Amino acid sequence: MNKTVTINISGIIFHIEEDAYDKLSKYLSTIKGYFSNADGGNEIMSDIEARIAEMLQSKTSAVKQVVLMSDVDYVMESMGKPEEFAGDTQDNTSGTHGYDVEPEEKSVKRKLYRDGDSKVLGGVCSGIGNYFDFDAVWLRIALLLLFFFAGTGLLLYIILWIAIPEAKTTAEKLAMKGEKADINNISKAVKEEAEHLKKRMEKYGKEFQNMASGSAPRNAAEKTVDFVSDVLINIGRVLLKVLGICLVIFGVIFFLGLSGSVFGLSFLSDSTNGSDWIDMLLMDGKDFYLGLTGIAIFVGIPIIMMIYAGVKILFKIRYTNRWVNLSAGIVWLVGFLMLFYVGVRTGGDFNKTAKVRETITIKPYETLYLRMHETAINYDELNISDRDEEGERNFRIGNGRNNDYMIGNNKGRKYLLGHAQLNIIKSQTDKIEVVIVKEAKGNDKRKASERAKNISYMISQTDSILEFDNLFKVANADKFRAQDISVILKLPVGKTVYLDKSLENVMYDIENVTNTYDGNMIRRRWTMTANGLKCVDCEGLDEDDETYDDYSTNEESEEQVKINVNGVNINAKDAQIKVDSNGVNINSKESKLTIDENGIHVDTKKQKRK
Amino acid sequence: MVNSENTKAQMRKGVLELCILSILSQGDAYPTEIIEKLKETKLVVVEGTLYPLLTRLKNTGLLTYRWEESTSGPPRKYYMLTEIGTTYLKELHLSWYELVDAVNKTINKQD
Repeated sequence: MNKTVTINISGIIFHIEEDAYDKLSKYLSTIKGYFSNADGGNEIMSDIEARIAEMLQSKTSAVKQVVLMSDVDYVMESMGKPEEFAGDTQDNTSGTHGYDVEPEEKSVKRKLYRDGDSKVLGGVCSGIGNYFDFDAVWLRIALLLLFFFAGTGLLLYIILWIAIPEAKTTAEKLAMKGEKADINNISKAVKEEAEHLKKRMEKYGKEFQNMASGSAPRNAAEKTVDFVSDVLINIGRVLLKVLGICLVIFGVIFFLGLSGSVFGLSFLSDSTNGSDWIDMLLMDGKDFYLGLTGIAIFVGIPIIMMIYAGVKILFKIRYTNRWVNLSAGIVWLVGFLMLFYVGVRTGGDFNKTAKVRETITIKPYETLYLRMHETAINYDELNISDRDEEGERNFRIGNGRNNDYMIGNNKGRKYLLGHAQLNIIKSQTDKIEVVIVKEAKGNDKRKASERAKNISYMISQTDSILEFDNLFKVANADKFRAQDISVILKLPVGKTVYLDKSLENVMYDIENVTNTYDGNMIRRRWTMTANGLKCVDCEGLDEDDETYDDYSTNEESEEQVKINVNGVNINAKDAQIKVDSNGVNINSKESKLTIDENGIHVDTKKQKRK
Repeated sequence: MVNSENTKAQMRKGVLELCILSILSQGDAYPTEIIEKLKETKLVVVEGTLYPLLTRLKNTGLLTYRWEESTSGPPRKYYMLTEIGTTYLKELHLSWYELVDAVNKTINKQD
């Protein structure tokens, strides 16, 4: 007893034994392989199938209904081996016809297969080597080297392994090493397609001329349909090749980008890499790994499928592994769910906001000098290399305030840095106070305020100098939860502050009587009045800030403290202290003290008047 | 050893086109008929050879075909000579006789 299969050849139904069926279908697909690229290949194929159907029909009858192995053998014997007869198409083309015959395509065009006979892993390299006629060793070395570029080599290899079928039958092995396709590179293949298209167009052009000179109208209509479909198919082929190239190239670039930005395998750019941010955003452990895997899958699968599709288009691989698309889809969905889960959990941790206030009382001085703490962090630990034109480090990332965060890395211990803001308001009491408002988010109020308290931020006072950190630090364990610091200096009426240039980036919309923009408030003294901050030394000064960068000993600039190799030079409104190679010289409205080679000399105006 | 089979196959192949055209000049035929006639004269060893050749001849415009329903199987493709095919065949005939003549002369001289 044998199992039979029902098949349809040329519209005739046959019952065929299973093993006979296997043999016949292999035989047919081999023939198909030979003719698939030849001109009129489909027609030849259907002619052959019709003949086979006829032969099989003569072998079956009402009594013997089933096609047996022996019948298939008979068919194959009388039809001949495809290698024997398929060569015909090309052998005869070189014949000298008296007519304008267009050369036909080679019957056994080289096709890309994996070469299982000389494989190391899956025969991908040897297969490609066969296709392009070079030693597979070079490709293996190249892929191995590429492996160190974020594993691109491995990924490419796996994609090619899936996309390229292995040469199993004799016919496929022949096609693999077959008639050297005159494709040495892919661009040439595109050119070939275009040429083919052009040829077709010319051919049809001729046919149309013939048609115009009168032939059967039915025939003409048929030809028009043929022509249009043929042109479209050929244009499509060229476009497809271009698409294939684009898919592969962009796929590889995207993959490098992905592995670079997400996995910190960054060799393309030295900016802060994405994994640091993921680490800073997601809860430790499970969430982090889930999130990273999720992103890799969610973005990676489409990229891989891009390259896969590109390779298949480029090498005209029709064979499809059914599980590839399905499993890619499922894996992608899993990645999406991972991201979704992690996203929901992380989002929940932004639920509640808490603000914590710390008030510090400052020792009172008539004039407080405010400046930025310069050594708050070690900038070399930051992943920032760009400097602005003046050679200063550029601490800002992004332009929006919310993007003003950075990640530092101190010997593997990551921390988040954010910009603090400084504001100056009128104190309701007569004490000078600094209020530090720390803000953070969390799953609940308690967690949020705990995080807020954990933000480390310093201010320090040395006599009348008050120094602010420009950045605040958050430990990785606390994660990025929209932490923010705003510093409020409460200044009683009558007190004065001097704003150092270093404060430029810290000040945030400090209100004042004259509505002066933050950037123009620096290097000025501001006194708190009942109405708000008022500039003390802005009078007579234009908006022209540049003059204040001029540090040369300028008699006109009435107030200046200068210490350099020449000595000390202090210029005040009504007094001058000068220590230099000439000695010590102190001048005021009322008196004068000089210490020089002549000794000590004290001079007062009262004495002069006497 | 010289492989005479190969040489014979090449010779048959060379005249196959002429033979097919000649058979069709005697009347329209579908592939099986052509094959049977060729087999009688031992010109064709394997049938598969015929199909690509027919398609090519048709595509060059020497042949054309029409479909005919068959009572016992799939519809049959009846091939026939076109006008170009007929003139082409005449030319081939001429050169064939010339060739045979020349070859015979050469062979006989050597005998």
